[in-house]
Amino acid sequence: MRVVVAEDLYLLRDGMVRLIEAFGHEVVGTAATGPETLDALLTLRPDVSVVDVRMPPTQSDEGLRAALAARREVRGLPVLVLSQHVEQLYARELLADGAGGIGYFLKESVFDADQFVDALERVAGGGTAMDPAVIAKLLSSGSSNRGLERLTEREHSVLSLMAEGLSNQAIAQRLFLSESAISKYTTSLFGKLGITDDDNTNRRVLAVLAYLNKT
Amino acid sequence: MRQVLSWVRRACVGFVRACAVAAVALLVPAVWAAAVALWIWWWDAHLWSGIGPLIWACVGTLALARPVCRMFRALVARWTGTVIPAGYRQPGPVVRMSTGYWWNGYSYERTRRDALMDQKLRMWWRDPAVWRDLRFTAIAPLTAGVVASVPPAGVVAAVLGFSQPGLPARLVGALGLVVAVAGAPYAWRIAEPVAVRFLRPSSTMALADRVDELTAQRADTTVAQAAEIRRIERDLHDGAQARLVALGLSLATAEKLMETDPDQARALMRQARDGAATSLAELRELVRGITPPVLNERGLVDAVRALALDSPLDVTVDDGVQLRLDPPIESAVYFGVAELLTNAAKHAHASTVRISLARDDTGLVVDVEDDGRGGADVRAGGGLDGLRRRLAVFDGTVEITSPSGGPTHVRMMVPCASS
Repeated sequence: MRVVVAEDLYLLRDGMVRLIEAFGHEVVGTAATGPETLDALLTLRPDVSVVDVRMPPTQSDEGLRAALAARREVRGLPVLVLSQHVEQLYARELLADGAGGIGYFLKESVFDADQFVDALERVAGGGTAMDPAVIAKLLSSGSSNRGLERLTEREHSVLSLMAEGLSNQAIAQRLFLSESAISKYTTSLFGKLGITDDDNTNRRVLAVLAYLNKT
Repeated sequence: MRQVLSWVRRACVGFVRACAVAAVALLVPAVWAAAVALWIWWWDAHLWSGIGPLIWACVGTLALARPVCRMFRALVARWTGTVIPAGYRQPGPVVRMSTGYWWNGYSYERTRRDALMDQKLRMWWRDPAVWRDLRFTAIAPLTAGVVASVPPAGVVAAVLGFSQPGLPARLVGALGLVVAVAGAPYAWRIAEPVAVRFLRPSSTMALADRVDELTAQRADTTVAQAAEIRRIERDLHDGAQARLVALGLSLATAEKLMETDPDQARALMRQARDGAATSLAELRELVRGITPPVLNERGLVDAVRALALDSPLDVTVDDGVQLRLDPPIESAVYFGVAELLTNAAKHAHASTVRISLARDDTGLVVDVEDDGRGGADVRAGGGLDGLRRRLAVFDGTVEITSPSGGPTHVRMMVPCASS
């Protein structure tokens, strides 16, 4: 895969580049500021990019904004956003276009290199990958979407793992169930959330959106 | 008939009030008149014998100034509802020091009684209100005193005039009666404008008050800041620092074991990684407590929205404004909202909360309303008191309406220049 790494701290950027290259992927560009990131994303069109939220020049959410702007230009451009903290607010903004190919993780997720690169590959493939911390926050929040109230407990746990970005196979392993059982649960929860079987929309992304959409 | 009755009643009430105003306003002049009368009385005996009554009159004026002003204020407040702030200085606390002496804010005294006496005297002497009161006792007789004396004086003239034979005397008496009756309902009203004009705290006093307030706030802020820094230091010391030491130890041991016991080394390295993750989580919590990252990245409105998303309650945010204020103000308001959300969940057992952020001509207005059971009050040292203090630093105010049974409505207002 061709990867762009956008991170302002040299040590972290360097470490990330080395980690990604160690897994046999190619880092085609790096960026250290918001404008550089946007430029790199739009000109290099990487298979996937790793973007830090807080970057110069304003040290606010430059990276996040660059990622969102790039995805407005190129729908579904795969971006994995990294941050020192995760906010539901940002997760919702990233997922809002429903195009998939999005990931949002705490920076320390790179500690587990296998899982990190796995998430990176999932995002590159158009899937979603959410940090368990985001999902945990969602679970602890009070109100939720009307459709979600009709889900059974099991469907709930399947949906939350799906939101983390796991495949049916991985969910089956986590819950000690067969893959066919999981696919039955997913079909029924898609039905309850009113997500139709349409090839052009990413059903899993829509399910996660329903999960996040609690207004 | 009823009109006449009500007019008579007003005249009677007015007459009594005019007498009261005149009596209070003329109290000090009466003391001086008595002193001068005594002096003249004793004039033949010795010229200097009049000094005594004059000294007594001075002392009497000093002692009476404040009670006269108090009475005036009380009368005006009672009759017209116009409350005039007194603006007297409030005594600070008298505390016992470790040496056993008492400190009253000005000096050390051997006993509490001495300290209180000393404080009272010094405060009285330094209080700019004393000069205002003295000035008022000089002005009041010439203004309110003169006007309010008209009805009583008319009555006196009437009584004297009718008690003597002769047409001119009768005429004077009739005139006095007319003046008394016609002036009775109105004469006392002079008290209000005079009091408002001359009894108000002067700008010097207002400034002195403000200085006191700011001094107290500064002390509060300094103490709070110091406590906060100590907390951060302790958290870092017991948390991240200790964990980093453990991390170094694990890595050093793993390095040693690499050749001889690779399995053990691998386990230690995994442990080190877990330790790093834990200390990162701790640091994140710490940072969130100092200043939430989303506040830095997005400003107040989005930070409040993020707070609403994280709350276990059903929180709606109405934000008519996209504004960036000074970071310290944003931080104070943010932590205020966080405190109120916590209260709504923990104490009020609310299920929905409505937050609205708006700005008007004077500044930022944040309303937080829940559907809980109410009964919130500001206890000294409590969360709401802390909120009030935090906002007071920016001249912000907190209004709390929380009847028992709910709902609770809190309005925070912070003045700020438009940006």
